[in-house]
Amino acid sequence: MAPNKRMLLKGDLNRIYDEKIRNRRRREQSGPKEKFFVRPTRQRKMKNAKWFAAGMGIDLPFCIILLILLTIGTIMMFSASYAFAYYTQDDSYYFLFRQLIFIVVGIAAMGVMSFFNYNKLHSIAPLVLGIAYVCLMIVLVLPAGDGGVKRWIPLGMFNIQPSEIAKFAIILFFAHWASKYYDKMQLAKFSVLPGLIVFGSIAMLLFLEPHYSGIVIIGMLTVLMLYIGGMKTKYLAIGGIALIGIVLMLAVTGGLSYAMSRMDGWGQALEYTTEEMWQTTWQTRNSLYAIGSGGLWGLGLGQSRQKYLYLPEPQNDFIFAIVVEELGLIGAVIILLIFALLVWRGITLSLRAKDKFGKLLGIGLTSQIGIQVVLNILVITDWLPNTGISLPFFSYGGSSLIMLLAQMGIVLSISRTANIERQ
Amino acid sequence: MEENKTRKKTPKKREKRADKGPNQRLRQRTAVLIIIILVIGFGATLLRLSFLTLVQGSELQEKAVGQQLSDTVLTAKRGSIYDAKGTTLAESASVWQVVLAPINFEKDTQREAAARGLSEILGLDYENVYEKTQKKNYYTVVKRKIEVEQRDKVIELMEKLTKEYDCGNVIQLLDDYKRYYPKDTLAASIIGFTGADEQGLEGVEFKYDDYLSGTPGRIITAKNARGTNMPFQYEQNVESEDGKSIYLTIDETIQSICEKYTAQAVIDNNILNRAGCICMDVNTGAILAMVTSGGYNLNDPYTLSDEAQNAISQLPKDEQADAESQELAAMWRNKCVADTYMPGSVFKMCTASMALEEGKIKDNSSFTCGGYMRVEDYDIGCSVTSGHGTQTFLESFCHSCNPAFIQIGQLVGLEKFRDYYTAFGFSEKTGIDLPGEADDSFWPEGQMGMVDLAVASFGQNFSITPLSMITACAAVCNGGYVLQPYVVSKITDAQGNVVKTVERKVKRQVISNETSKKMCDMLAAYPEVNGASGGAVPGYKVGGKTGTSEKIGIKKNISSFGKDYIASFCGIAPTDNPQIALLVFLDTPSGGAYYGSQIAAPLFTEIMSEVLPYLEISTDYSEEDLAYLNIPAGDYTNISTSEAVDKADNDGFIAQIVGEGDTVVSQMPSVSSKMAKGGTIILYTDNTTPHEKVTVPDFKKASAYEVNGIAASNGLNVSFNGAVSSTGIAVAQSVKEGTEVAKGTVIAVTFKANAEGGSSD
Repeated sequence: MAPNKRMLLKGDLNRIYDEKIRNRRRREQSGPKEKFFVRPTRQRKMKNAKWFAAGMGIDLPFCIILLILLTIGTIMMFSASYAFAYYTQDDSYYFLFRQLIFIVVGIAAMGVMSFFNYNKLHSIAPLVLGIAYVCLMIVLVLPAGDGGVKRWIPLGMFNIQPSEIAKFAIILFFAHWASKYYDKMQLAKFSVLPGLIVFGSIAMLLFLEPHYSGIVIIGMLTVLMLYIGGMKTKYLAIGGIALIGIVLMLAVTGGLSYAMSRMDGWGQALEYTTEEMWQTTWQTRNSLYAIGSGGLWGLGLGQSRQKYLYLPEPQNDFIFAIVVEELGLIGAVIILLIFALLVWRGITLSLRAKDKFGKLLGIGLTSQIGIQVVLNILVITDWLPNTGISLPFFSYGGSSLIMLLAQMGIVLSISRTANIERQ
Repeated sequence: MEENKTRKKTPKKREKRADKGPNQRLRQRTAVLIIIILVIGFGATLLRLSFLTLVQGSELQEKAVGQQLSDTVLTAKRGSIYDAKGTTLAESASVWQVVLAPINFEKDTQREAAARGLSEILGLDYENVYEKTQKKNYYTVVKRKIEVEQRDKVIELMEKLTKEYDCGNVIQLLDDYKRYYPKDTLAASIIGFTGADEQGLEGVEFKYDDYLSGTPGRIITAKNARGTNMPFQYEQNVESEDGKSIYLTIDETIQSICEKYTAQAVIDNNILNRAGCICMDVNTGAILAMVTSGGYNLNDPYTLSDEAQNAISQLPKDEQADAESQELAAMWRNKCVADTYMPGSVFKMCTASMALEEGKIKDNSSFTCGGYMRVEDYDIGCSVTSGHGTQTFLESFCHSCNPAFIQIGQLVGLEKFRDYYTAFGFSEKTGIDLPGEADDSFWPEGQMGMVDLAVASFGQNFSITPLSMITACAAVCNGGYVLQPYVVSKITDAQGNVVKTVERKVKRQVISNETSKKMCDMLAAYPEVNGASGGAVPGYKVGGKTGTSEKIGIKKNISSFGKDYIASFCGIAPTDNPQIALLVFLDTPSGGAYYGSQIAAPLFTEIMSEVLPYLEISTDYSEEDLAYLNIPAGDYTNISTSEAVDKADNDGFIAQIVGEGDTVVSQMPSVSSKMAKGGTIILYTDNTTPHEKVTVPDFKKASAYEVNGIAASNGLNVSFNGAVSSTGIAVAQSVKEGTEVAKGTVIAVTFKANAEGGSSD
């Protein structure tokens, strides 16, 4: 790593920003209005930041970005779902109403978690992993849901998706593991081995559901956590080369296209081959139609046509297709930028956590959002096979939204302790 | 990003670098992580989204719209075509089209029921219809242009489907139009016809398609994936705009006169390669009639004549399709515009105009003909091999003497000749508003020699369209103005407002008014001198020129004469104030004669003798002509016999009294019957004397004079029709010979110009 990269991360921007604020303060004698713009960093010891900093100390920009995303996401979820809700539930507000309840619960969970001392999670990490295993096993013995897959544990008003818990458990567990054995993470015994064991066993359980996208995400999170946890890059490289080798071999032997066609007509949504395949790729094809219809400027908010039963379940995984149709490429770029800001902010604030566990946990939780956004959009644009990957803050769904907001609460908690410690 | 690692178990401890503490490493690795997620990951999604929205956007949107919108086309009514007098030549009438919305089918039993019902009602193949019911769209045309009875049955089927199969929303009946041509074959090559989508394919229908077709309207409704309208109003109606109507310059009466006589001439002279006829208003360039013989029924344009079908059915199987399409193309072809021919001696009117305009002709100019003329190394013959001797300019024209015209051409000179050729408009298209106008073929600049000039002087070895020949003829007689011919006089919208009128368009003046006057006199002299073989029309001042050209370089030797000829006549009327020009041409005669004077001039006479009275051109009968004029009988009843006799005598008839009374009670023929002068009027003075019966004799092959005699000796009257003259012969009679009729009955006898004697060309 070149030193200038370090500077970038350390926060040239931060320093410039602080410089500016200091200058302004010097000029303006600091009024109470300024407090909203003040980032509570360790350099700041001013009284006027107390309003927030003293009270809660959470990272305000992160919180605001998050709420903006949640607002846009909810509006778009409503826009995408009302036609579908009208036809299937006889009530255009069906999904909106439910989602708002989830949001209230989720925000509450987030608030609670932001006060929760995340260090307590350190000790219960293995327990959480255990709960995830239990849930993953419970779901297998429950009767299959829609489409013969076993992904949800019904809990009255909403369903719990064990893979959501597993994702969190993986991040939590490896943050715990890597901070505990940080010095030994160089050893394969402490990095590669537990990684393989935990990921392998969870993957096996997810395979039985089946839930392939869950396997992919869990795999990625495992690698991510081990990587930032200090695993030797060599192992990563070996794993990467092995993976590329397998893909190349499949491509040469023609197995890749076979695998692609097996994966629900991946990449073939627009070509008519057989009636069965045409029906299978219906959702992806209509997603592409929706995105293409949006063009640069979109058809306007609420003006989507593809949501009129053409795109099945437009409020779920394929919601972003409707977003692009209504808001166009411009709208999509803006939303992606906000997501990027959130990820950036989440990671950089986590780096300022007081301990290794906080750092790893914060980075893992925010990265998860970035990964899901990228995978979701690549799925709806037919660059990845159609597997259930939801779009954070946008897709309809109780357990995932509440889990997500609770996890964000943890990130806020990390930001709070980081700041408090430094003050 | 999506690598799913398998890690190797090779625990090996390595020394940390001094400057690489755990925090440092975490920051670096986080940087890598941010680059992977935010730069590579988000970059890829942006790239993909941009590609889909910006590059593939319109294509995808089209497909999306294709499934979202139910688009119903409202057919616009195609405009009508009228002749100059407002007679309808083409119109569109309401019919219906049957359209399926196959996406609304839910079960195969519904599909089967609908397909069976439709195939039975519409006479279609069941499998074919069933295939259409399996499509996934809102608009599949099953059959177009069904009439009322079929429509009613389809409505019944729709009711049945609703009741028994619960799918009433699968069949739709949409308004459609069908093109009708009330006059069937009339002016087929001009009007043209339309295809299945009412698009013009030939003639005016093709050329003016943009005006005629109108703008179709649409009803666009957004449908959800279940095919019902979206709950929120999204409907867009675009009214259809009916097509404009077109008024032709063609006069139905003149057109049918021309068609009638041309068709007869084709049969009489065994014309192998069709005949044509153009009638033009010389002062405006408006086409009054344009005929290509062997026309077709516009209501059924794809059916060949029996003759052609027989010929095709005798060909080997694999050649039949080609032969049929060739034959169809030939049948549709407007020979007057799309084909070229060598004008032959008709062109002498142009050569003469050039010489006059250039002042090369003096009062005492004379031209000598020795039966042939030597130009460079070639002997060019005259039609009279013994030669015409020394002749004046006018005599040369009336003799149609080739050597004289070679000399006249030489007087004009090569360069001037070419200039005039261009000025007359032969080297360009006339610009008529009909499709497929052919180009001329002339010697390119610098490649025309004296021999070429010699033959060109009498219209040989270059090709022009018949249309450009008559346009030049019009210029010769109308004061020298080369006009742009046209067939459409005005265009009106559906409400009758005039959208466009076509005015006379003068391209240029090629000869002076004086020269034009002189040329009219020369053209007038030709029939005067040559009589019937010069296209003379009794009672009218007509002028013209015959032409017989040998076909060179085209399919040869199919006629009975060993060589193929085109006989033509181009003339004007009246010569003192030219109104119309008429060109007739007969391609490849293979009957009794092939000279223009023998077969084309009589055709000209026949057509003119009906067209000129119709146009109310003032008559100018000579003494001889008057003898064959029909005059109406007066009313001789209710007056004394002596008075009646006097009155009949005054009217030019001979009275014959029958009966015992003093007063005339009835007469035969009846009042206003038109009959030849000198006929006998039978006057009955009582009601008791029986009316005498006579047998109708055979008038055919007799001259007019003889016909009069035969009629008188049989106690009958005649009325003269057709080309009556001292030399004309009777070819038809209104009552068949051998029939018993009342004495004094008027028999209409039709004459045909007899030009067998004439062969000057």
